[in-house]
Parts: sequence; C-alpha cells; structure tokens
Amino acid sequence: MMAIPAFTQKASEYQVKAAFLFNFSKFLEWPPEAMGEPNEPFVVGVLGKDPFGSNLDEIIAGEKIMGHPMVVRRFNSTEEIDKCHILFIHVPGKTSEALNALKGKSILTVSDDEEFNAYGGIIKFYTENEMIRLEINIQAAKAANLTVSSKLLRIAKIYE
Amino acid sequence: MLTSGIVLIMTCAAFFVYEYITARETMRRQMSTLGQIIATNSTAALAFDNQQDAAETLNALKAENNIRAAALYDVNGKLFAKYPATIPAFYIPAHPGRLGYYFTDSYLEGFQVVEQDGTLLGTIFLRTDMKDMYHRFLLYGIIAVIFIIISFIFAWVISKKLQRTISTPILQLADTAKIVSDKQNYSVRAVKRSDDEVGLLTDAFNHMLTRIGIQNAEITGLNQNLENKVRDRTRELEMANEALTEQTEFSRNILDSSVDLIAVFDTDLRYVTLNKRGEETYKITQDKIIGRYVADVFPQTLNSGMVDDLKRALKGEFVRHVNYISGVTKRHYENFYIPLKDRDGNVNRIVTIAHDITDIMQANEKLQALNAELEKSNRELEQFAYVASHDLQEPLRKIQTFTELSERYIDNPDALKRYLEKVGSSAQRMTELIKAVLNYSRLSKSENDFVEVDLNNTLRSIFVDLELLIHEKEAVINHNNLPVTYGIPLQLHQLFINLITNSLKFNERKPVINITSEYVNGNDVNDVPEIIKHRDYIKITFSDNGIGFDQKFADKVFSIFQRLHADKRIEGTGIGLAVCKKIVENHQGFITVKSEPKIGTTFFIYLPVLHMSSTQFTKTSSTNTQAV
Repeated sequence: MMAIPAFTQKASEYQVKAAFLFNFSKFLEWPPEAMGEPNEPFVVGVLGKDPFGSNLDEIIAGEKIMGHPMVVRRFNSTEEIDKCHILFIHVPGKTSEALNALKGKSILTVSDDEEFNAYGGIIKFYTENEMIRLEINIQAAKAANLTVSSKLLRIAKIYE
Repeated sequence: MLTSGIVLIMTCAAFFVYEYITARETMRRQMSTLGQIIATNSTAALAFDNQQDAAETLNALKAENNIRAAALYDVNGKLFAKYPATIPAFYIPAHPGRLGYYFTDSYLEGFQVVEQDGTLLGTIFLRTDMKDMYHRFLLYGIIAVIFIIISFIFAWVISKKLQRTISTPILQLADTAKIVSDKQNYSVRAVKRSDDEVGLLTDAFNHMLTRIGIQNAEITGLNQNLENKVRDRTRELEMANEALTEQTEFSRNILDSSVDLIAVFDTDLRYVTLNKRGEETYKITQDKIIGRYVADVFPQTLNSGMVDDLKRALKGEFVRHVNYISGVTKRHYENFYIPLKDRDGNVNRIVTIAHDITDIMQANEKLQALNAELEKSNRELEQFAYVASHDLQEPLRKIQTFTELSERYIDNPDALKRYLEKVGSSAQRMTELIKAVLNYSRLSKSENDFVEVDLNNTLRSIFVDLELLIHEKEAVINHNNLPVTYGIPLQLHQLFINLITNSLKFNERKPVINITSEYVNGNDVNDVPEIIKHRDYIKITFSDNGIGFDQKFADKVFSIFQRLHADKRIEGTGIGLAVCKKIVENHQGFITVKSEPKIGTTFFIYLPVLHMSSTQFTKTSSTNTQAV
C-alpha cells in the first residue's frame, strides 16, 4: 500500500485539493507519447503563485504512477512549461491566456477559477455545502487527448 | 431392506452436507463478488470525498433482498457511508475489521478493501442474512425424509413380491441342496415353480444332480475296478516276493553250505555279505561287519596282500592267490577274488572265496620231511652198497683166495692150516662188519627208549669194559663230573666207548684223554651252523693226544666205512664214527671234530637239554677220575 493522501474534517482546503490533484492521476489516462519512457517523471505542476505550501510536496513525495516517479514542479509562466501532466493554474486574471498558450498539449489543467471551464480548462474546483466538488469540461479533456474515467465523471458535474 | 435403507439415508446425508457446503461457498463467493462491485463503484466517491455518491452506490444493494447492512469506511477507517441510510450506527462496526467474509449465527458478513490502481482508498463492509439459505435447507431435509419413507414403503412392497417369485423358489432350492449334501442322496429333485430364471436355475440344479448321480455310479464302478486291480497286483507282488525270498534263501543256503569262506565286498571294500563258514572262521556274526571297511573290521589286513588283491579285482581282474597266510587266522588259504559287474560292465562287487589249504600244506610239509628222510636213507643205502662192493668184498676175496690156495696145497697140512686160519679170520672180520652194519642200521631213535641217564655211570661202566686195553696202553683218562641227561643208555654207552676206543687205538704214545662237559646256549656256538639258537645244550669235549688227521678230512670221518688210516696194524671197521654221528643225531644233537696230525684230536658233542634234571650240573673238575 502507498502513502495515503489524508483529509480530515480539520484538513485545510488546499490539503484536500492537493490530495485531489494526486488522485486525478488514477482516474485519467494520458496518451503514451505524453507519458514517454517508464523512467521519465510524471510531473504535477503549479503555474503562478503556489497556494499549497508544502501540502502538495508531502502528498506527491515518493509516489509513482505506472512506474513513473511523481515530481512537483512550479512554473512562473507558460513558457517554462516543457513537460507537464497535471497543472494547477493559479494566475488570477490571466487564466485564459495561460490556457491558450497550453492549447494542444496533453496536460490536465486544474484551477479554482470560476470561469475556468468556459475558458477551456478541464477540471474546476468549486465548493458546495462546504464540500469541494469538481466540474469537468469533457470537450477540453478530449481536445487534450485525455481519457476521463466514468467513475470520475459520475461524481463530478459535467460542464455544458 | 435395512442395508438399502442405510444406503439411502447415507446418500441423502452426503447430498445434504455437500449441498450445504456448496451453498455456503457459493454465498461467500457471491458476497465477495458483490463487495467487489460496490468497491469498484465507490473508488471515485472515496477518492474525491463524495459521501452522497457513496451512499447512492450502497443504495444499489436494495436489489439484493438478503443484504441487511453495508458500510464504507475511508482510508483512515472512519465511517464514510452506510446502508440502509436509516440504520442506527451501532448495528454497524465502527471501524473496519478482519478482511474476508465469515459466517456468524445467522449472518454472513465481512470486510473488503477498496482500491484504485493499487492505492488503498477505503474499506467496505457487507452483512447478508442466512435465513433464506437455512429455509431452503429445511425444505431439502423435509423432502429427503419424505422421499426416504416413500422409498422404504416401495422397497418393502417390492421385496414382498420378489420373495414370492424369487426368494421362495431359491430358498426351496437351498433346502433341497442341504438334503442332498446331508444325506448324500442324489435322487432328490427340486420342484420347478416357474419358467423364469429361477425355473432355469432349478432345472440346472436338477440336471447337475442327475449328472452327479451318474458320475457317482461311474466313480463307484471305477473304484471297484481299481480295488480289484490293486488286489490282483498285490497278490502278484506277494507271489513275486515269495519267489524272491525263496531265491534269496536258496542263494543264502548255497553260500552257507560252502566249505570255503565266501565274502562279498562293495567298491569301497566294505562287507556286503559273509557266509556261515566265514562267521565261524572269524568268530564274528555278519551283522557286526556288513557295511564296514575290511581293514576296520580286521586291522591286520590293512597292509596285507588281501587288500592289494581286492584292489586288483576292483579293476576287473580275476585274482588267484595260491598260498595266502591269513593275518587273522594264521591259516593257509587259496584265495580267489572274482569281480562282479553291473549291466554297464562296471565292477560293483567282489566275491572273495578262501579255500583253506592248511591241512594240505601240513601234509605237504610232512611229505617233504619224509622225502628228505627217504633221500637220507637212500644215501645210506648207497653207502651200504658201497660197503658191500668194497669192504665186504675184501674179506670175501681173501676167503676165495685162501680157499683156492687150500685146495691147491691140500696135501700140505702146514700151509693148509695157515690158509684156513686166514679164511677163518676173514670170515670173522666179515661177521664183525655185518654186525657193525646191522648195529648201525638198527640204531633206534624211538623216544620211548629215552630215560634219565647219568653220564658218570656210563663212563664208569666203559672203564670196566676197557680195563685191559687201558692198562695195556697205559692210558690216562681225565674227566669232570658229567651231567645227567635224557637219552638212550645203550647208544650213549656206544658213543662214549667208540670215541674212547678210537683215542686209545689211534695213538702211538701213551694215550691221554680228557673228557669235560659244560652247558652252552645255541647262540654262543659258532662252529655248528645247524645248531638251534636259543636252545640249551650240554657240550661234551673228548680230546686226546693221538695221531690225528688233516682237518680237511673232518667231514669224511663221520661217513660209514671211511677209514683214513690204511694201517693194517690198527683194527677197525670204519663204521665207529658213523655210528657216533647217528647216535648224536638220534638225540637231536651235533658232533664236530678238530684235529691236527701228530698232536691229537678233539670231538665236541652237543646234546640238547631235553629235560632239566633234578641233579644239578657242576663244572668242577675236582672229581677227576684217573683210570689206570
């Protein structure tokens, strides 16, 4: 068994979100060319100001997905992004630009931005009854050549 | 009936147990599958903290009537969702327990993990009610019992019916068989009741009885036949045996009637048989020696000619041993060793026939002794003829010559007288010669004439007889004390007088005669080859100082009419020493002589000590008698 991403009643918002970011790796599939060689890292990236603190690093540290070691990378701009699988975008006001810059890449884009799905982002975090929920843009996922598990789709809201 | 009942019950029980175990395993597997489905559908809810979705997923269990309770726990073991949603929390375990599903009193319940791609997301709990299954089994049991009861009733009815049609005839058949085997009565027949298989069996049984009856009769007949044959054979054998016994007795009688010893040996030289004559000879009974090696029975035969002869016969040779002296009986036998051969021509027995020739051998020896005696007589006769032709003719010729002269000078009385004196002396001499010859030939050697003789007395009477001659010759005769012996007194007298007379006659000096005697043993006497060793002898020595003779004539002097001295002055018949020799030989003694011309002659006489006299012999010369 692996180290368990923990969220308790007392867990902070970003602790829960960090765990969700890690769990996405289990409910989506990336195209083989995006995954590359088995020893190539699986990159969980943060674009813009990092809201997770050490939470993301603690969850990701030592984990592997299908043999690929998971690493956390932080980017200031989209230019820096060469290889990335899950990217949390936290650039308030510049979300649309960032998404445009990343168009055509097999990157699962995640953000808290209210209009994220409308901009073409794939998964948006939102809060309902104090619980963090997901909204998925299936068209965007298809455009990024990602396959979303039906299980994930069942518990998420579908953006139309 | 009972057996089939037990089998039925056992079968039902086995089926029931099998069903029960199988049903439980099936339920457990179904639970596991159901749990897996719920778990798979709960992964996202657990991963993304969606309790509502989890509760919906669990709610799908509504379709399963038996599921009484279900729950999901998050990765930390905290209750995440439950089913039915209204169930009080204390009916559900507060935390996940041991993995896997287990039967409790009336439930099957357990835990299963929820994971996604190897990552543990939580745990699921399921509880299902067993009542249904138990109800089903109760129903099964009731059906089985009813089935068994019905089966029993059917079986009982069918067996009753079967007994009538199958068992009864078979039992009757068994009774008939028992009668047959108990009473040995093969005429009994079983009653046929139907034309089915039992009827066939009855027919077969009856047929078998008929066959047995026929075979029995045949066997009895054969037995009778066999008994007759055995009786005949036995009688034949007995007759043959009788004949054989008779033959054996006949052979034995022939063997035992033999005057010869007959023994039969096998190839290891062990006694096979010995006839009666053999038993008598060896003073042993057959049974003591049969089967024993000849040299074991008679050790004397071990390196004897007998074993050698037997071994030659073993090689097939017919052996004849003409004069065999038995080491056992010390008797003489003419032995025959005859090899007997078996059909292949190999020697397997040796018949030994021993013909006792002891008596013949003894007769032969006697004959030889007689022959020797006869030869001796013949020689003496020849000597006698010689005497007749020479010595006796001499006085006869003188008588003839002087008779013719007397006729011629019949007118001359002086001459006539002289011639007639010559004739007379010649006739006298002839008479003496004839007397001497007669005397010699008459010398008896009959043992009946042997008496105790004191030689001293013999000598004394001779001194009396020869008194004048001794005086005339002025002879000196010395002698020691002579022993007493057994002999013929007149012959011993003759022996002594002849020797003394010779010593007096053949002497040109004053005769000195010494007579001594001593006891000697045959072993110590060297000059007489014929003397018997170990025998005691009286040795009497006569020595004189007479004219003597050449020692080379020593043997001749004892021959009849042998005169060494032609001296007319010395009178003699030439028969004296021959008489001496014969007398000594009559006494089983020996006489020898040693002489030297002009010195003297010594005679040695050895007389065997026939009977030891009570008068002890002494060697002393103290009693010398000098005859004058």
